[in-house]
Amino acid sequence: MKRLLALLSSDIGRKALMGLTGLLLIGFLIAHMSANLLVPFSKEGYNEYSHKLITNPLIYLAELGLLVFFAGHFVTGIVVTLKNWGARPIAYQRKDPAGDPSRKSLASSTMIYSGLVLLVFVPLHLVTFKFGPWYLTPDGSMRDIHRLTIEVFHSPINLAWYLIALPILGFHAWHGFGSGFESLGVAHSAGLRRFGQGLAVVLTLGFMAVPLYVLLGGGAS
Amino acid sequence: MSTMTVKVRVWRQPSPDKEGRLVDYTVGNVVADMSFVEMLDVLNEQLVAAGEDTVAFDSDCREGICGSCGCVVNGVPHGPGTGKTACQLFMRAFTDGDTLVVEPFRAKAFPVLKDLCVDRGAFDRMIAAGGYISANTGAAPDGNQLLIGKEIAEKAFDAAACIGCGACVAACKNASAVLFVSAKVGQLSYLPQGQPERYRRVVRMVDQMQKEGFGACSNEGECEAVCPKEISTLHIQIMQRDYLRSVLRGA
Ligand code: HEM
Ligand code: FES
Repeated sequence: MKRLLALLSSDIGRKALMGLTGLLLIGFLIAHMSANLLVPFSKEGYNEYSHKLITNPLIYLAELGLLVFFAGHFVTGIVVTLKNWGARPIAYQRKDPAGDPSRKSLASSTMIYSGLVLLVFVPLHLVTFKFGPWYLTPDGSMRDIHRLTIEVFHSPINLAWYLIALPILGFHAWHGFGSGFESLGVAHSAGLRRFGQGLAVVLTLGFMAVPLYVLLGGGAS
Repeated sequence: MSTMTVKVRVWRQPSPDKEGRLVDYTVGNVVADMSFVEMLDVLNEQLVAAGEDTVAFDSDCREGICGSCGCVVNGVPHGPGTGKTACQLFMRAFTDGDTLVVEPFRAKAFPVLKDLCVDRGAFDRMIAAGGYISANTGAAPDGNQLLIGKEIAEKAFDAAACIGCGACVAACKNASAVLFVSAKVGQLSYLPQGQPERYRRVVRMVDQMQKEGFGACSNEGECEAVCPKEISTLHIQIMQRDYLRSVLRGA
């Protein structure tokens, strides 16, 4: 506990915790995205997967973990960003990117803004799906989450919001993945950063597959 | 020899507590082989001739080794190009009629003293906090008495090349000093003489860095791109690892 407090009181410690929680969240996103790919292929498979997940007692532990990581991440994210802004009270009149070998990108300079979009997106997403209407499958044996998914994306507003928010998530992960490892002081290589960027693209496209599937008329029955 | 004329918009601030602003000047008789600081000398000669207050800026060696000079030229610390200080930025990097926006290094921890001069005392205080070894090393040891692997020697040399100019802080969007501190930590902690105080040093220097009001690292690497000695951000990783290790051990 004392050590956690010591970590939280230093910039390096806070950034390491941000990196760790962010990377764990990305780990969760990989699993989440992979499971979503069931939606276009198997209605039953997706419902059964979801049923197994929510009836496993360990789910509460996992959910608590995700909640703690998410909360820890965005609180440290906001604290660190505000402190960083304070470190240069008088702005430059002209400031240009320094160029190679700097990795500065639009994604890296807008982490707080993409993060704030996620801070709105994630709770809304939980309200829409996790705490959304509880349809049952025709045989009444389990939740029909597939039906809800298709229904949600039949609303143009939901569809547009997801198609905007998901690339922003990818944007956050684009810089976040490599940066997280660097903040932990465990790895620093161009290869790892490129891997993270590739992963961000895969995550974005993978998540967008479901709303796009519905947009193209999938799931209508 | 052909000469050129450039417009300079330079930050003028009479003292730390007074407001500053960009002031436009036209500097003629600029030769391509002049350095940027020599161009400022020409500007100051004009100002003296006109009976005006000269532009204050730091410089000493004028050969890129002391780290005194430094300002932000057209939005980049030490100006366009890589691996050089402002005194090694030559006017051939610009063309006749160009406008040069010249500002001091900006950070809460680097208060402006006058015009382009900033107080970089925070760097000295971080060194004083732990950037030394207290072992009595006596006279220089015989060559090869203390064997050090080539990779380690290279890494330590890369860190030791830091001239403490402050461009890393000036370039960072968070005005973070981690590249400077990690170079000063690394030049000692990679070598045998630096081992005994390795963890104490990193904690003291990092704590002092935070007290001075520098920001955190966002892993963008703007610092490395403007560093006159092109010091690698790899040192930041090693410093962070050492720091986290010390804190988690409860040091
Ligand atoms: C699905 C949710 C999220 C994931 C997967 C995620 C992932 C990451 C990762 C891996 C990093 C790199 C950490 C580092 O630089 O050490 C990061 C940085 C960051 N995150 Fe998140 N994040 C998420 C949500 C949020 C939220 C809700 C905020 C709210 C403000 C946020 C704010 C930030 C900020 C400000 C940074 C960069 C800080 C800096 O420049 O140093 N993130 N994120
Ligand atoms: S004056 Fe010494 S480095 Fe520029």
